[in-house]
Amino acid sequence: MSDRAAVEAAIADAHCREWARVLAATARVARDLDLAEECVQEAYAAALQSWTRAGIPGNPAAWLTTTARRRAIDAIRRDATLRSKLPLLVESEDEVAMDDVVEEPGEAIPDERLRLIFTCCHPALAQDGQVALTLRLLCGIPTADIARAFLVSEPTMAARITRAKRKISVARIPYRVPRPAELPDRLRAVLAVIHLLFTAGHTAPSGASLVRADVVDRALHLARMLRELMPDDTEVRGLYALLLVTDARRATRTDAGGRLLQLKDQDRSRWDRSWSKPTT
Amino acid sequence: MAQYAILLYADDSAHAPEATPADLEPHNRHADELARSGSMIRAYALTPRDMATSVRGDTITDGPFVDAKEVVAGFYVLEAPDLDAALAIARLNPVLRMGGGVEIRPVHTSWAPEQEPATA
Repeated sequence: MSDRAAVEAAIADAHCREWARVLAATARVARDLDLAEECVQEAYAAALQSWTRAGIPGNPAAWLTTTARRRAIDAIRRDATLRSKLPLLVESEDEVAMDDVVEEPGEAIPDERLRLIFTCCHPALAQDGQVALTLRLLCGIPTADIARAFLVSEPTMAARITRAKRKISVARIPYRVPRPAELPDRLRAVLAVIHLLFTAGHTAPSGASLVRADVVDRALHLARMLRELMPDDTEVRGLYALLLVTDARRATRTDAGGRLLQLKDQDRSRWDRSWSKPTT
Repeated sequence: MAQYAILLYADDSAHAPEATPADLEPHNRHADELARSGSMIRAYALTPRDMATSVRGDTITDGPFVDAKEVVAGFYVLEAPDLDAALAIARLNPVLRMGGGVEIRPVHTSWAPEQEPATA
């Protein structure tokens, strides 16, 4: 038995840290982004009961991934005939055999997040769709919250996400990391999405406050994730550094009344210097 | 595999009645390459915009349907496993080096008579 509050905290933590990893690994099996999302949501819901009863697993991400993938396989088997008529996510290399994926919780899961990032930020998708899909699928943010962050109605944002997902399946945008020859172009699109998101939070286009901290934090989270996944790419490292340097001034950019302060009037001693120390 | 229609946009079609073999050479060479690779399953080069006739409602007019700087100069259909593969092939089109562009449209359905006519 685990304390319910501890379980809820563990689930919230896993949602924040592991959503993208779990969804990316599930999408590989589900071959359909909607089904994958549904199964991952169900896995998080199931975790509440199971972890309260049996304790919080040592590797929550592996537990969630295994649960979500099993659900996806069940759904595919149940609806075999229906799903055979739907366009599936295209995977070029090494198709996954279904029996391979029912591994035991605790095993290492291959990190599929890069595939998901490149699919969400494919240049064939409209940029507003790329941004929305990235927040929805990589950060697990509910559509209503994304709509609020970009000051559009929820149905508008839902339509944007649906349109992007439909194009992925109808035009067969592949679920994979681009080949080295395509990488510079494709990476530029990914970096543009992260930078756009950061800018939207750093100087909010409207609303009462200058900075939307939640949006900035999501952009930093994505930049950090990308740096972790592509540690040798200088553009990726450069963007992450740029965002950190820019964000270090966050607390000093407005006065107590929320009014914009010019650079010369900012209290430089309050700039956040923690970023300049090497992290992970 | 999926089918994609590739629409070629240019200031005008290179395939004018008075076009010289030199005018057509880059396009024909590219078409030959695609045909050899087996990815192209159908292709059409269209005559210039002056030859176009448009019908909107009851009205018949001279010229392309959309009055724009570029017109559809031709199109072809290719077979590819996914959009990235189709893009990689479409980007080789010589029209891109001549100030034009291409549009890639996934094909929903297609139809052709059992017996192909000898000439279109």
